This record gives sequence, structure tokens and C-alpha cells, in this order.
Amino acid sequence: MPEMVTLAIDEQEVEVEEGTNVLAAALGAGICIPNLCYLPGLKPTGACRVCIVEVEKNGRTKMTASCTLEAKDGMVIHAHSENVLRARRNIVELLVAEAPESEVLQVLAERIEVEDVRYPERDNDCILCGRCVTACAEIAATGAKGSIGRGMNRHIGLPFYNEEYCQKCYECRERCPMEIAPQSRRDPCGVCGSELSKNEDLIPEMCGDCELD
Amino acid sequence: MPRLGNLDDLAALCDALGSKREQSTRTVTMCAGTACRACGCLPVAEAVEAEIEKQGLCGEVLFRTTGCHGFCEQGPLAIIEPGNIFYAKLKVDDVEELVSQTLKENQVVERLLYTDPVSGEKVRTEDAIPFYASQTRVLLGDNTKLSPENIDEYLSLGGYTALAKTLTSTSPGDVVSTVQASGLRGRGGGGYSTGRKWEQCRQAPGEEHYVICNADEGDPGAYMDRCLLEGNPHAVIEGMAIGAYAIGARQGFVYVRKEYPLAVRHVEGAIEQAHEYGLLGDNILGTDFSFDVKVVHGGGAFVCGESTALMASLEGKVGEPRAKDVHTVEHGYLNQPTCLNNVETWANVPKIITNGAEWFAQKGTQNSKGTKIFALTGQVKNTGLVEVEMGASLREVIFDIGGGPQNGRAIKAVQTGGPSGGCLPESEFDLAVDFDELYEAGSMMGSGGMVVMDDSACMVDVAKYFLTFLQDESCGKCLTCRIGISRMLDIVTDVCEGCGTPEQLDLLEDLAWTVSVGSLCALGKTAANPVLSTLKYFREEYEAHIEQESCPAGVCPALIHYTIDEDTCNNCGLCAQNCPYEAISGDKESGYRINGEICTRCGICVESCNKKAIVKS
Repeated sequence: MPEMVTLAIDEQEVEVEEGTNVLAAALGAGICIPNLCYLPGLKPTGACRVCIVEVEKNGRTKMTASCTLEAKDGMVIHAHSENVLRARRNIVELLVAEAPESEVLQVLAERIEVEDVRYPERDNDCILCGRCVTACAEIAATGAKGSIGRGMNRHIGLPFYNEEYCQKCYECRERCPMEIAPQSRRDPCGVCGSELSKNEDLIPEMCGDCELD
Repeated sequence: MPRLGNLDDLAALCDALGSKREQSTRTVTMCAGTACRACGCLPVAEAVEAEIEKQGLCGEVLFRTTGCHGFCEQGPLAIIEPGNIFYAKLKVDDVEELVSQTLKENQVVERLLYTDPVSGEKVRTEDAIPFYASQTRVLLGDNTKLSPENIDEYLSLGGYTALAKTLTSTSPGDVVSTVQASGLRGRGGGGYSTGRKWEQCRQAPGEEHYVICNADEGDPGAYMDRCLLEGNPHAVIEGMAIGAYAIGARQGFVYVRKEYPLAVRHVEGAIEQAHEYGLLGDNILGTDFSFDVKVVHGGGAFVCGESTALMASLEGKVGEPRAKDVHTVEHGYLNQPTCLNNVETWANVPKIITNGAEWFAQKGTQNSKGTKIFALTGQVKNTGLVEVEMGASLREVIFDIGGGPQNGRAIKAVQTGGPSGGCLPESEFDLAVDFDELYEAGSMMGSGGMVVMDDSACMVDVAKYFLTFLQDESCGKCLTCRIGISRMLDIVTDVCEGCGTPEQLDLLEDLAWTVSVGSLCALGKTAANPVLSTLKYFREEYEAHIEQESCPAGVCPALIHYTIDEDTCNNCGLCAQNCPYEAISGDKESGYRINGEICTRCGICVESCNKKAIVKS
């Protein structure tokens, strides 16, 4: 039997197996934490920062991505505090400004009530969430895709830009949020396309407070 | 070199070398650190050595080149004992006189002495120089006493006896307790308790434990760790060996920038020499303790100074940070418990073991103990490396040691903590050099960069400079750091160019907050500090750029204009001749005019005008 840990997320007691990350723990308990770069079951990278939460410890709070945070016994998590909502909106606003054409990002922005985008639009096809890299390494077990360059020069590519390293399995494309067509907004929650919850076992209960209908 | 089989062998060797050192009554010590080398100290040093031989003083005078003394702008410099005579800015032509007068005749050569820029008077001895007199040089002091290329010099000062004492009479737990009791906090910037880190690492289960020395210093203007590693590599190695014993490691790494060739050479040479004496390797000093150190060259990415990125780089992976919710003391290098400390932290360890925790804890403030080395740079009279007791005020460092502003200008701000630190105004200069005080004021201790700016600096431009640096150095993995910094830079650039809006300032504050709470590693979490601190203390400068479209310091090119004052101008035409952009037209009869559309505000016309007729507005 694996060890179990109990933590509190938005004042709800959640019990999960040791080693589970806080995002998975929340989603599993039907608490919706919006997320983007996270692929359930695979190693989280913490690149997009959308799943940011507040961790309370000894009366002090610290903000961090929930996907890379391992659930611990007695942990107190705030996933919808004022600070979290503000940071999350600002983060999604930055994302939308980078790729204004992305429907997934637009739906995500609408879902968490990003009212306006205060930055000049840039026209990027890729937001460097890194899902393709994770998919290539862990699902395809090819490990061909990787990030190249630093800072604003960072981009995703194959070693030496050589196409021969790619196995053409397209696991990466399957998981690219810029390629996923958001499904109809009239669909029940969990498949709103915002990547809020791609775990199909959990719909529709987990997004009970979703205002989209 | 004979291998030292036990504690007695080491004690005997140290005694022999120590008494030999005491016998040489007359010494010439020249700094041969990187900065002095750049000033041309090596030809001078060669000349001194040759002159000593030529004048027949070989047996009587001991000549030594050392690592950095700290007073870099006065190099090449020499200290002559007895007498503690300090000669500055030496040239090869001065050498003959130095040897014949000072070494042979005991006469001081007045013209070679240092002139204090504050009093304008010559200063005879090193101790009397205000730059040195106000410092507490616990670590840097040793730099002036030994040649880093010869382990015997370190041993002659009692080197490695702290390690010997540790190995033979102290349990690992007691070493940790001593370090914990000393109150030592990490000198790399975080300020975490070193003793607590060691204890956590020691307690963490793992097949292997590792120690790492972080020498990937990269803040603009900062070179403290470089000079310690160049000038006293054995202190760092000895500190690492003591730490390794305490936490149960057998392998250590020094991760040092490849751009520090002298530091690389000296630390590699030091490791080799320590091996020959058996002070590294298997069964050190005949005990069961075995420890080795490997030098790994960093490729120059600023982010690799972050502990998790550094460890990824050590493993041969891309140097990118990971979330630190899992601590490196438990899962670090190769997923094993790893204790990483900065160069200066390691160098403090042998001192603490030798002199005791109480000795160390006496220095400093309630929560920041010991001394701290700063790289004092910018617009002060004296620049260089300074070591002060924790708790010294910024004012003491800038005015007493740094000598205050240059050219009669007023000092406006000091930037501490490197690109992740903040800018503090003159009104905050009574703050103490203390981890917590600086943090609360919106800056941070950082690894020890201290850039002083006078009223010729535009604080918006300063924020832009640091954001540009951080944008280039962000690894780009997490969104808030990669995009957040770039968006902050866009806004600050707009302000500098006179097209910022008041709404943008609110957005900038909101964004800066998002970057600081949302980023994955310390680089991103602190990247907003230059913006937040300048907005906090110099908001009126941002507002002047936006509301009046003017740069109060006259720095931002888009907001300044050059015009020729017709009343002062004598129509000589020099400005027009010198303008590289042909922006000045006219002739000697009708006078000259600057075309604002072509002018790039380079300022060459101002320098070329003998009449000071070109006005900046």
C-alpha cells in the first residue's frame, strides 16, 4: 500500500498518494486549477506558471506552480485567493498577448476573467510551454525535441536542426495547445478546451463552478 | 613534496615554513591579481625581481606576487616590509629607484606614494590609507600575504591546520554545530544559514553526498569570488574539505566560469599541490577520511549560478533551473544530497574552525555575522574590493572607504546585490550592510556587487540597463521570467524614449509583482527588483520622463537636445568638423546650427567646443 498524505486545498481536505503533485491532487478532488503546460501522468516542468497557487506555512504564504509542488501531509494550499487570481490573470494576459490568435488561450482568458490585454500584441506561433518536449521524451521515448537558446531566443528544435532525429510519431503535435481546437463552448465542463481539465474520467463534476454554459 | 602521513607531519611542516617566513625580514609584495595584470603589473614584477638580483639583494629580500589586494584602481602596487610602505601605480621605470632607495637605503620614494584624493596628501603606509583603514579584512587580508601558486605559503600561515584539527579531534556533528553557532550565512546572495544547510544535507539519506563550490559569479561589476579563488584557493579547498567531512561527502566540485582563467589555473594548481602533500585524496593525514575536488568549467551562462541550474550543468544537461520545492540538500547533483556554497562562504569555514564560532559571531549584527566582501564600483573616488564587518552602514562604505563622489558631484544612489538587487537612494545610506535590513529596504545583499551612482545617472536608464542584462541571461524556461522581463523592458524603453504613459507605470508595477511572485527560480523572482526599487525611490524620474518628456539627468538620448548658444559661440566651426553624423551645418559668417533630426546626441560636439557654447537641454 502506498503511503497517503492529507492536505487542504481551498479548505477542502484532500487525500492523495505520497508523491502526487498538488495540481493532480486538486484536479482529482474536483477543485479546478487552470493549467496549460501540464500533461497528466508525465513529469511536470512548471514552464507556463498558469497553475500558480499559494502555499501557507507558519502563517506566511509563498506562491509557486502547483504542478511541480509535491503534496505533503498537512500542507495548506490556496488555489483561488485574491493574490492567486490576480497573478493567474496577469500570467494568462501575458500569454494571450504573445499569441493573440490562439483559441485555447482566448478561452482560458475568458474562463478566468481576463478583462483586457494591456500589452501590444505579438504574433507568436509557439508559447514555449514545452509540452511537445515532454511528449517526445516521455510518450514517444524519443527525446529528440528540446529547447535551444536562452531568454527571448529560446525555441524548440531538433538536435542540429536535423529532421532525421524525429520519428514522425506526432505525439508532440497531439499535445500542442496551439494546435488543439477548442471544442464547442456549449459542451459540458472539463472539455472547454481551456486545458482546465483534460482528465476525461473526472468530467463533468470537477468544473462545477464554471460559468460557461 | 613528501606526503604528510599524520597531524604531526603537518604541524612540523607548518612550523618550519612559518619560522622560515619570520626570518625573511625584508619583503616586497606585489599584487598580481587580474586587475593589476590588466594595469601591467607583470613586467613591473619581473623588473623588481631582476633589479633585486642586479643590486645583489637576492639573499636578503624576499619577493612575492600575490592575488588581489582590493585597491585595484591603484595598480600595479607594491608593499614593502618592514615599514608597510605602499607604492601605487608603479611603472618599470620606477623599479631601479624603488630597489636602490627603499630596499637598500631604507628611504621612502615620495613620488611613488599614494595620494589620498580626499585630503590631497601623500600616505606613507598601507595601514594609513583610508580605503584600507576602515575595512575589516579577515579574508582579503590573507590575499596580501601569500602566493596562491605555492601551497607552502598557505601552510606557513597555518593553512590546513583547521582541517587537521577537524579530522582528528572533532565529530562531523560537532563541526556542523560549530558552523551553526558561528551564525555564518550563505554569501552567494540567499543568506541561508550555512550550518543549517550542512545539517539538512548530513541528515538526508543517499548513496553519496556531494559538496559544491559555486564560483559562477556573474553580476556586472562584481569580482569578489574571482579574487578569493585567484588569491587564496587553498582556503576554499580547505573549507570544502571540512564541509565534506561534516556532511559525509567524498567528492567535491568547484564550478568556475571559464572566463576566469587565472582563477581556474590557481585552483587547479592548488588541488594538484594539495594532492602531493596528501591533503586531498585517499586517507587524508592518515585518517579514514578521503576527499577529492574536481574543477568544472562553466560556459558563462548567468543562470548557471542558480544552484539547480548549476547542478544540471554539472550533470551535463542544459543549465536550466528546476522548481526548488524539492531541496538540493536532499536531491541535488545526480539526485543525491548535495551541499552547495559560495566561494566566500567556503573561505570563511577554516577561519571559523581555527578561531572558534564565538570569534566569528562577535563580528556583525544580530542576524548577520562576520564580514562581507563587496566590489565597490561606480562614481566614487576609491574603487575596488572592500571587506567590512556586517552592520557597517552603506554610508561608511561609500564615503569613508570609497572616499565619496568624484568631481564634486552628488551621490544619488547605490545599487547593491547585482542585477537582482535594488537601487537605494542617499536617504537610505544609513542602512546597515545586513541581509535582512537590505532586503526590507527593497534591495538585497546579493553576492556583494555595489555600484555607486552620482547625479549624472538616470534611474530609468539604470533600470533599463539591468532589465536588458536579465533579458539576455534569463534561461527562458518559465513564462513570467522570459516574457515578463521582456515586457518590463519594453515599457521602460518607452519611458526612456518619451512615449510612456501614466497607465504604463501602473502596468509596470503590476507586472513587476507578477514576475516576482510567479517565476520559477531566484533569477526571475528577483528580476523585478531594479524596477520596483527605482519606482519606489525615484518615481519622480519616471514621471518627469512621461509627463514633461524630459530626462532630469540628461541621459536618455530621445529626451535631450543640443543647441548652440549664439552669444557664446565664436563660429570657429570645430563642432561641425567633429560631428560624425554631419548634423551641424553653417559657416563662419552666418554661424552654426544643429539639426535635431540627424543628431544622435553623442555629445562629441560638446567635447570639441572650446567655448562651451553647446548647451544640453
